[in-house]
Amino acid sequence: MAMNYINNASLLKRQLVVRFARLMFTGELKNKIDLLPLHQAPRNSEAVRCCLHHDRAVIRYRLIALLGFAIENEKPDDEARTLASYVEEAEARGAGRMAGSALTVIDEACSACIRANYRVTNACRGCVARPCMMNCPKNCISFENGQAHIDEKVCISCGICAKVCPYHSIVFQPIPCEQACPVNAIVQDKNGKQDILADKCINCGKCLQACPFGAIMERSEIYEILRAITNPAEATVALIAPSIVGQFNTSLGKLVTALRKLGFDHVVEVAWGADLAAQKETAELIERLEHGQTCMTSSCCPAYVEAVKKHITNIKPLVSDTLSPMQYAGEWAGQQWPGARRVFVGPCIAKRAEAKASPHIENTLTYEELGSIFIAAGVDVAECEESRADLEATSVGRKFAVSGGVSTAIKNAASAAGHNVTDKVIDGLDSKSLAILKAIDKIVKSDTFVEVMSCEGGCVNGPGVISNPAVARRFLEKMLQEHP
Amino acid sequence: MAKKFKITICSGTTCYVLGGAHLMMLAESLPADLKDQVEIIDSNCIKACQFENAQPPFVQINDYLMSQASVAKVVEYLRKH
Ligand code: SF4
Ligand code: SF4
Ligand code: FES
Repeated sequence: MAMNYINNASLLKRQLVVRFARLMFTGELKNKIDLLPLHQAPRNSEAVRCCLHHDRAVIRYRLIALLGFAIENEKPDDEARTLASYVEEAEARGAGRMAGSALTVIDEACSACIRANYRVTNACRGCVARPCMMNCPKNCISFENGQAHIDEKVCISCGICAKVCPYHSIVFQPIPCEQACPVNAIVQDKNGKQDILADKCINCGKCLQACPFGAIMERSEIYEILRAITNPAEATVALIAPSIVGQFNTSLGKLVTALRKLGFDHVVEVAWGADLAAQKETAELIERLEHGQTCMTSSCCPAYVEAVKKHITNIKPLVSDTLSPMQYAGEWAGQQWPGARRVFVGPCIAKRAEAKASPHIENTLTYEELGSIFIAAGVDVAECEESRADLEATSVGRKFAVSGGVSTAIKNAASAAGHNVTDKVIDGLDSKSLAILKAIDKIVKSDTFVEVMSCEGGCVNGPGVISNPAVARRFLEKMLQEHP
Repeated sequence: MAKKFKITICSGTTCYVLGGAHLMMLAESLPADLKDQVEIIDSNCIKACQFENAQPPFVQINDYLMSQASVAKVVEYLRKH
């Protein structure tokens, strides 16, 4: 499963966000945004793709996605549009919410990927029997220099050639994003570009993590967020997810100060909402079990909740109705500071979709984006003083960041209330775990609480993290030891 | 006994965000034969990021300042020296 390995494509993206945010801070975005592709891929530098022009074209699309637009909506003439005109359009969009999917695919970057899943290797002997050619239903295999050759444009990836080759010289090569997607929501169109099917996609972000070309971008909200935090007249709240501990190799208290330095007026620990959610979910679980239900599943991971809605609808009655920690924390912030812009800061793309449908959160920001904004603002987190969040949590809620945290909290709370429940953790969504979930009430013992996390290891391995999940987990454990 | 290499990993925000986070895995990624030759220190910003065209993340190995550092690059350097 996709792990958070170091990846040049994501580093380049972070650098671009730094440049973008710098221009926002100096108020020059509209004037200078059209120079950013040239600055990011300067003349005489080494091209990452075929040439600098191609690199710059991709960077241009990244900037369009950073401004929140879906690249799929580009009309043919838009290719001649300036980026400044997109800034104007974003400006005019105002505080309104962006409609549509949270992810967008950069055609220009995606088309460098493989077209067909089968490839002839050098092991091909060009044999006389030629079963590959004889059995291909599309007639797309020909012979060049004594070796088989597959016409990628015609191949339908049926795999017959690989099966019949006596030398096993034809290999299956998965398309990384398709392989990563747990619900088959990303498919190649007839031009070889990947399309995300909105009615299937659960916004888990696995495809984005998996693409070696960085072709899948989130439609970012940093434009709205930076505009709000640089405007002294607008009140803003940063709602930080439990997994933020360990993202900057520093303490929570320093991070709180750093967020205030950026311009956030208030900082709220979403783990407080997790504390509350754990209580409510426990009460709900006990009630349901008393009514004879076998098991109940968690509801805090929006990618999982969406997967139930779109793919395993039969278990919908088993999913907890408790709101997510983000929503409880957002609701609290809304009562505390009416009218303030509430920004969820986390590792998650699915949360962006959840937030859009919630009255309690206005925007979402990933840790990666936050990190780039710190750099642009010249805020070094490790050098900040310690300060306290406006609303703090206990270690119960803080553990929600790693898999097992939710179920432990519920199990303990239930047992404190005199109920013995078993817990089961579904750590990461893929086709296998989805199949298990589909029949979960038949698989688990009665009185079971099932925790489901789309990301393997929990939110510390979300698609928008900075730290390696193992490192983040270590940090979190250290903090929990120091502040039990 | 003093170790052969003193490695300072910069975990200032600029370095950390632009690739340095993965250097936190350096200690567990070192091959066995190099492990006891190095001392690893985690440091605040070592101010190398403030130059124009700086290429973070930075790692200081004895007197040598490595830019665009990665676990693989550090291991390769240690092998050669
Ligand atoms: S479900 Fe996940 S992997 Fe599949 S297209 Fe949507 S975000 Fe990508
Ligand atoms: S596990 Fe956490 S980060 Fe991953 S999709 Fe679910 S809520 Fe988001
Ligand atoms: S953050 Fe590493 S040198 Fe400044």
